[in-house]
Amino acid sequence: MNRRTTRRRTIAALAGAAGILALTACSGGSGFSDSTSTAQATSTGGGSLRVLIGSSGDAETAAVKSAVADWAGTSGTDATVSVASDLNQELSQGFASGQPADVFYVSADAFQGYASNGSLLAYGDQLKAKDDFYPTLVDQFTYDGKLYCAPKDFSTLALIINTDDWSKAGLTDADVPTTWDQLTTVAKKLTTDGRKGLAFSGEYARVGAFMAQAGGTMTNDDGTQATVNSPENVAGLTYVRGLLNSGDAAYAATLGTGWGGEAFGTNKAAMTVEGNWITGAMTSDYPDVKYKVVPLPAGSGGKGTLQFTNCWGIAADSKNQGAAIALVEHLTSTDQQLAFSKAFGVMPSVQSAADGWKKLYPEMTAFIDSASFAQNTVNAKGASDVITDFNAQLEGLAKGDPQKILDSVQTNLQAVLDQDK
Amino acid sequence: MSTSAVTLPPATTTGTTGRSGGRRRPRRWSAVVVYVVLVAIAVVYVYPFLIQVMTSFKTDADASNDPLALVPQTWTTAAYQRLFLHSDFPLWFRNSVIVTVAVTLGRVFLDSLAGYALARLRFRGRGLVFAGLVAIMAVPPVVLLIPKFLVIKQLGIYNTFAALIIPLLADAAGVFIMKGFFESIPPSVEEAARLDGAGAFRIWWSVVLPMAVPALITIVILSFQASWNELSHFIIASQDPDLVTLTKGVAQLASGALSAGNQYPLKLAAAAIMTIPVAVLFFVFQRRIMNVSSGAVKE
Amino acid sequence: MTSLSSAPGRAPAGTRTGPARRGSARGPSGRQGAAGWLFVSPTLLVLGLFLVIPVVMAAWVSVSDWTGRGSPFASGVSYVGAKNYAALLTGGGLATKDFGTSLRNNAYYVLLVVPLQTALALFLAVIVNRRLLRGRGAFRTAYYFPSVTSSVAITVLWLFLFSTSGVVNGVLAWFGVHGPNWFADPDGVLHLVLGSLGVDTAPAGLADHGLLGISWWDWLAGPSVAMSAFILMAVFTTSGTFMLLFLAALQNVSGEVEEAAVMDGTSGWQRFRFVTLPMLRPTVFTVVTLGLIGTWQVFDQIYTGTQGGPAKTTLTPAYLSYNTAFNNQQWGQGAAIAFLLFAIIVVVTALQRLATRDRAVPRRRRFRLADGTLAADAAGPGVQEGGRR
Repeated sequence: MNRRTTRRRTIAALAGAAGILALTACSGGSGFSDSTSTAQATSTGGGSLRVLIGSSGDAETAAVKSAVADWAGTSGTDATVSVASDLNQELSQGFASGQPADVFYVSADAFQGYASNGSLLAYGDQLKAKDDFYPTLVDQFTYDGKLYCAPKDFSTLALIINTDDWSKAGLTDADVPTTWDQLTTVAKKLTTDGRKGLAFSGEYARVGAFMAQAGGTMTNDDGTQATVNSPENVAGLTYVRGLLNSGDAAYAATLGTGWGGEAFGTNKAAMTVEGNWITGAMTSDYPDVKYKVVPLPAGSGGKGTLQFTNCWGIAADSKNQGAAIALVEHLTSTDQQLAFSKAFGVMPSVQSAADGWKKLYPEMTAFIDSASFAQNTVNAKGASDVITDFNAQLEGLAKGDPQKILDSVQTNLQAVLDQDK
Repeated sequence: MSTSAVTLPPATTTGTTGRSGGRRRPRRWSAVVVYVVLVAIAVVYVYPFLIQVMTSFKTDADASNDPLALVPQTWTTAAYQRLFLHSDFPLWFRNSVIVTVAVTLGRVFLDSLAGYALARLRFRGRGLVFAGLVAIMAVPPVVLLIPKFLVIKQLGIYNTFAALIIPLLADAAGVFIMKGFFESIPPSVEEAARLDGAGAFRIWWSVVLPMAVPALITIVILSFQASWNELSHFIIASQDPDLVTLTKGVAQLASGALSAGNQYPLKLAAAAIMTIPVAVLFFVFQRRIMNVSSGAVKE
Repeated sequence: MTSLSSAPGRAPAGTRTGPARRGSARGPSGRQGAAGWLFVSPTLLVLGLFLVIPVVMAAWVSVSDWTGRGSPFASGVSYVGAKNYAALLTGGGLATKDFGTSLRNNAYYVLLVVPLQTALALFLAVIVNRRLLRGRGAFRTAYYFPSVTSSVAITVLWLFLFSTSGVVNGVLAWFGVHGPNWFADPDGVLHLVLGSLGVDTAPAGLADHGLLGISWWDWLAGPSVAMSAFILMAVFTTSGTFMLLFLAALQNVSGEVEEAAVMDGTSGWQRFRFVTLPMLRPTVFTVVTLGLIGTWQVFDQIYTGTQGGPAKTTLTPAYLSYNTAFNNQQWGQGAAIAFLLFAIIVVVTALQRLATRDRAVPRRRRFRLADGTLAADAAGPGVQEGGRR
């Protein structure tokens, strides 16, 4: 490139810079002000509501759509539901563009990020049923002392067992594993040619249950210190590594499936570790498979599992927040939550619905009973990156070193927690 | 060396890797080997698409269990039914058509205007504009992903067709193609028109443009292909589900939007249908595409 | 999709190219001047709005602390200097590691795809160019067809073909080879090779030190098996386009030179090395440049296919930039990654031009025809200037 071209490039660049100043001038008045919405006043402009969800399948989509349609009918405010293919990306783009959906799912790990940059409306105090939510769920969605959004449901992880394979292997109810050793034995008995005894997705959201069973946690109680590389967590990962190397257990991806439920439904595995959502998938995709749900075994640190929850976020930029809050109250009412449970198996976030759920699903009580020893997943702002990296390292767990993996996650998580202080 | 006969056997060697040996092999052997190699490579290039179409007519289980079999065990159009009746595929197709037609027409218009100006009209700063276009082509598109989103947002056209179409109208390569073509037209025709008192626009529209049909067709082909296959721009230009185009929709399908599980026939059917328009265009205008030495580049 | 032509000078043969400072020295006539500006203004407007201004805007975002809400030029957004760049290059945390990983992955991709696609395209072009080859049009069509399909469609097809019990593994099974888990296999190819030679763990020196948060041993991992599937896909889809470029160039090679060389009794291989290849130098240069620019920006396939997995071995800087900004809402860092990538592309292209610039052809490589003239000279002056643009 000769000097002439370089000079021309410079001129072109300067012209561009001049242009951008002009653009700033003309867009300055277009209302993109930087208001952070800690104001308590909610907007009550009219207009329809847009609801954005990240669905686990057709069952969930249909259920949410019909619930929203019901509310729209009785309240007179129009509301439409869209299903996001990548919820976090669409939410981010929505917030950045100033045109987010009005009501949307917020996952626990993304919550703090959105709350801290002012994208969410803190409407928790305006909810009539605020005290009915499970306290641990309220904790997940409290930021800076305020409850930002209503927990919409929760799920725990349990052990799903294929009853046909179980009886064919000569196992009975007495053999349901309650300790790690029993789990190893049972997995061995259930492994045949072309089928593993146990399969689960190779990510923190599943392997973390074993870490909890070893008595480990990811952070300390007030979320300021990372406790990832504790000896308990190392013990948990070491157990999982043993399982993977024994040949009786495998990651779902190694078996060529997308998740534990698919491995289970296609009988590439006789057991899997999954949450409530598997019931919806089994009914719609693998209706012929008979299964039962039991609590996960206790490890060297006692019983433990993970719980997952999302909340109904309301955008700070929404023009009709009053109606949005009313919609959320409808969606988290006891009856509506039980309807959702019926449709796709999740557990209601309000304690008053617990008994109703047990009556609906007498064979699934393992899920709701596990709530008593369930651990929340890490939700610190910026932690999702750390978890993604953790998941990436977990893929190599079978040949890797648990201590090294946990040490690196410890460093990363501590850096994130330090930043959040 | 040898003053061999005038007509040399053309297939004496492969002329490339010398795979079929030196020039002493008899003609037929090496010719056969060359053909075999070519056919084998062609099979490798074409077979995947054949499998794709065949698999789209299989059931989910059949596709997963027996992927190599070309012929389905049971012919079924379930994938296509699901695609057209139970998903937004027709909407995606419609959006892609709208965007592609608009971008193609726009590019034809803008590129021929700018190309003509750079080739025939003398205006101050012409060289600067030309150099600017060259410099702009050097910017990798990925750098523009984030900032284009910001600009679209600032202009207030986010989530509209305008955001999908307008940024794609800028096509420096097309301008160069048109410029090159216009430069090859003898100026006498334009001179005659100018002497008759026609203005620049008139000359362009009535005199030069009709003569530029071959180059315009090239632009049409390239623009159609580029906008039909575009993905990253559509990702950042909108997130309204009503504005999703084929590329974005099929990409969503690939990451498992229509519920979990491997639904190969569905995904392959979507990919196959998506390929049909460009394939048709390709077959119809083959020769012209082959003669354009500048072409679309796939990363 | 990018529609790039080669740099000016590669427009269809027969047109003059180069900066437009040649020609009439008369000043622009008024009406022509106005018309000229009017004609180019729509294109310039669109280019300026959606290319020039975004670049400037992104530069600002990369040195600011904009969080994603509201305008980047609002009063609350402040200048933070090189903080984002420092986090990526020297910070040592997860951001640095991810950036280093993406660079490593993309570097192997480039190192493998560019030579392979250039060589394959050249090979195909030379074979298809033979006279008296029947069905030449059909072969050309078959080899070019994958290039017209969109990267999304091809990725979907590839995910199917390379699934664990898919077509490719089925074909490998015919040869008794147990195919890997392709898109779910994060093992680096070089590591696998070293492992088969007995080197299973990192030698001490390599494991302890590193660059950008990745140990040297991990830098040497090679492309992962998943990345290799993408590499194959890239070669599959772009070899056709470059084959056409080579074909066009080959057709410009004077037939007489070839015949003269044949008359002198050269073997096909010698003809190729000493006659054809030097005359193709400019095209090879173009193809390599386009290949370098294209491979450093691989995004569509990653977005559609693996989103960076498995174990971040298909993460590329382009996808990382997108993900950091749009998914993690770290817009400054995402913009910084994009500019670093831009810098890398510029440097690599400049290095390539430097490495292939025109040098005097060394004595012993000149091929002399029977009458004592240089083959290169007979082909025309274009050959000697091959590398100079």
